[in-house]
Amino acid sequence: MRPTIYLVDDDPDVLVATQRLLVSAGMTVAAFQSARTFLEHYDTATPGCLVLDLAMPEVTGPELQRTLAQRDAPLPIVFLTGRGDIRACAQAMKDGAVDFLAKPVDDADLLNAVNHALAKAAVLQRERTTRSRTESALARLTVREHQVLVHVVAGRLNKQIAADLGTGEKTVKYHRGNLMRKLGVRSVAQLVRLVQHAGVGAPGADN
Amino acid sequence: MGWIDTAWPMVGATSLTLGIIYLLIWLRQRSQYGYLWFFVTAASVAVFSLFELRMMRAAAPDDYAVTLRWAHVPVFVLFLSIVGFIRLYFRTGRLWLGYAACGLRAVSLVLNFRTGVNINFEQVTAMTAVPAWGGESVHLPVGVPNPYAIVAQLSNLLLIAFVTEASIALWRRGDASARRRAAVVGGSMFLCLVAASALAILLNRGLVRIPTAVSVAFLGVVVAMAYELGWGVLAAAGLSARLRVSEDRLRESEHRLELAASAGELGLWEWSVAADEIWTTREGRALFGYDAHERVDLKRFLSSIHPDDRAAVEQDVRAALSKGGSDFEQDFRIVLPDGRLRWVSSRGRIDRDESGAATLMRGVTHDVTGRRQAEERFRTLVEAAPSAMLVVDTEGMITLANARAVTMFGYARQELLGRPVEMLIPGRVRSTHEAHRQAYREEWRPRAMGSGRELFAVRKDGTELPVEVGLNPMQTFEGRFVLASVVDVTERKRSELETARQRDEMAHLARVAMLGELSGSLAHELNQPLAAILSNAQAAQRFLAREPPELERVTEILADIVKSDKRAGEVITRLRSLLKKEEPQHRPLDMNELVQEVLALMRSDLLNRQIGVRTQLAPRLPAVSGDRVQLQQVLLNLLINGCDAMSGRVAQGDVIVRSESAAGRGVRISVSDNGGGIPPADLERIFEPFVTTKAQGLGLGLAVCRSIVRSHNGRLWAANNAGGGATLTVELPAADRLLPSI
Repeated sequence: MRPTIYLVDDDPDVLVATQRLLVSAGMTVAAFQSARTFLEHYDTATPGCLVLDLAMPEVTGPELQRTLAQRDAPLPIVFLTGRGDIRACAQAMKDGAVDFLAKPVDDADLLNAVNHALAKAAVLQRERTTRSRTESALARLTVREHQVLVHVVAGRLNKQIAADLGTGEKTVKYHRGNLMRKLGVRSVAQLVRLVQHAGVGAPGADN
Repeated sequence: MGWIDTAWPMVGATSLTLGIIYLLIWLRQRSQYGYLWFFVTAASVAVFSLFELRMMRAAAPDDYAVTLRWAHVPVFVLFLSIVGFIRLYFRTGRLWLGYAACGLRAVSLVLNFRTGVNINFEQVTAMTAVPAWGGESVHLPVGVPNPYAIVAQLSNLLLIAFVTEASIALWRRGDASARRRAAVVGGSMFLCLVAASALAILLNRGLVRIPTAVSVAFLGVVVAMAYELGWGVLAAAGLSARLRVSEDRLRESEHRLELAASAGELGLWEWSVAADEIWTTREGRALFGYDAHERVDLKRFLSSIHPDDRAAVEQDVRAALSKGGSDFEQDFRIVLPDGRLRWVSSRGRIDRDESGAATLMRGVTHDVTGRRQAEERFRTLVEAAPSAMLVVDTEGMITLANARAVTMFGYARQELLGRPVEMLIPGRVRSTHEAHRQAYREEWRPRAMGSGRELFAVRKDGTELPVEVGLNPMQTFEGRFVLASVVDVTERKRSELETARQRDEMAHLARVAMLGELSGSLAHELNQPLAAILSNAQAAQRFLAREPPELERVTEILADIVKSDKRAGEVITRLRSLLKKEEPQHRPLDMNELVQEVLALMRSDLLNRQIGVRTQLAPRLPAVSGDRVQLQQVLLNLLINGCDAMSGRVAQGDVIVRSESAAGRGVRISVSDNGGGIPPADLERIFEPFVTTKAQGLGLGLAVCRSIVRSHNGRLWAANNAGGGATLTVELPAADRLLPSI
């Protein structure tokens, strides 16, 4: 699926010009004159990035950025601004913007930033897929397997786990083999990375 | 003694008596020379009658001849006097005839003494006694006639011709009385002269032998003349009767005049020129400070006059006395015995005799000290006035100019007086001024000249100066005048201009400072089209680089580039007009348009500050006459202030800009914010310079705004809103109300 470049700017002249530039570079562009119309049309499933004007009436660029973050949209943002406002720039970058460009923007800079954002979008998309697969695998674990998982990731030995859980070492070994198979990993190191990526942290650790 | 010895002396006595009567009359009336002529005539006739008597009594031829020779002397005198008399009384007659008669008679008189024994005889050979009536006898001559006798006879004819012609002329010319005189006097004179001449010829030729009664015929002439004179005496008698009546009347009117004169404090006077004596009434003496019985002559009169005026008065008196001189009229000062000064006005009229010489001068003098003092006071006041003062008569002539007028206009006083006031008006408006002056004659009340217009006067050197003129009508006994006071307002205009210049300067500074505050926003406004242009251009490059190039898109892009470029240009133009330092130019403006322009300038700033602006603009506002840039500045300032009041607070509503037409007052623009409002004590203070509620800023904005609005004849004020926040309102007069009133 080809990624879409979303464009939001309240100034129609700038909007059209930027759209043309991106189209001339062979990109697919969807342009909107306000944050509201953009939100009405945006689908999180569509891969792409957002080129966003900073100062706009009603909903401003940073406000839209926050809204998208809340929705966990995988949409890297490149900010465009007419004024070099350092505070706004720092805040936007802190909030995860890919780039912050001053108008008038050179085509190379813009295309670089957009490509960069698209690359990030691809990563995000992949991570998103991995995470959802991991999450469904984790969901298939039994309670006992989940408990063992937490202890394994925490780096404890089978004997220690058996003692903690009040069971035999063989039983722990059995559960451990099961969950490794279910999650499709062959080593403890792999398991740890997977759990970390999925953001599971130490599931059931508090149990 | 026979009757002849009685009759001839009686003829002489009668003639002489009549003559003496008129001689006496003449002595009383020296100017009546006719009486003197008559006396001479009558006397010569009397003398002649005695000669004639002697001739008739002469026994010896020599005696007769000598007597006759001398008898021609009174005849010659008679001729002269007859001619003179006729000329004087008939006021006609051909002079050359009279002169010819007298001339010939003079020639005959010479011949009388040079040829023969007299003009009549070459020689008298004998005397014969001839009987006359009543047993009397007279001696008549016998001799050789003198051939030159013809000259004497010719002179007789000429005299007759002169008298006849004069009588006919008088008859033709005149009324009934003239005709009567012509008939009676001329007729009888003619008859008597003819008779006398004929008798003389007949007797000398010895054709008749009767007593020589020529003197009797002459007596007829004398009687005729006496008749004529009698008419004169009768007329004089009638005249004197009438004169008496008129004298009574005159005395009465004199009495009345004196009463009036004393009531009006007029001094009547009369100066007998020949006697050099001046008579004046009691009031007149009091006026001049003369003693009651002091003799006053011209010298005394002149000595009472102030030394500075004396020469002028004397000159005027002499001028009046001279032949053809006019009446005497003069205002002068007199020095009273106690040293006080008195202004008097004196008028006199001259009486003249026939020759035109002045005999009498009479007139009236009155005290004008009060009037003169008032005039002096007026003059002093006018002279001392700090503004130029001109008194102008109804014809527009300057009759008075004070010292300031002289210095203001650069003319000498003499160059101003008696000249038209238009000389002080610049040429381009001179003709309209004349029309205005005519109009003012109708209006006739105090007012400022040319209200609502700039007035200029022109100096002698042609330079102009701005002035203000006040007009005041003056009604004086000499007629209507206008007192114009002219104030040179060059300095005031200069300081007004200076103030305006400083205000504009200040406005410009404030504007630049304000634009500094807005600079980020303005840069953004400029940046937008530039950004669009760059992106468009680079997109076009890419489309052109494709195979095949997408020319259709490029065309579209170029159109957009042009559009954006224009947009950037507009921003720059607007900015430049605000930054430029220019003389304010008043033009009709649509305030709604100005509001939109200002909002466009602030768009980016408003976005940046997250402040919304709502407009409520009334359609069809009347135009306002003003300077676009300055009024934009005011609106910008009010909007920025409104935004400043809103920022830092949780946004509650928007800034509201309203426009409306204020009934009869023009246009009202108000900017309402929703901020903290203004402390009531500061509602006026915020318009003072250096008073500010903001952390940054000089506090000049509103002070400058108010001075701009005032220079547009408008008002600017602040008020707090009922629901919070403040509203600043500008009120500007509609353009038509600013049109200069004429």
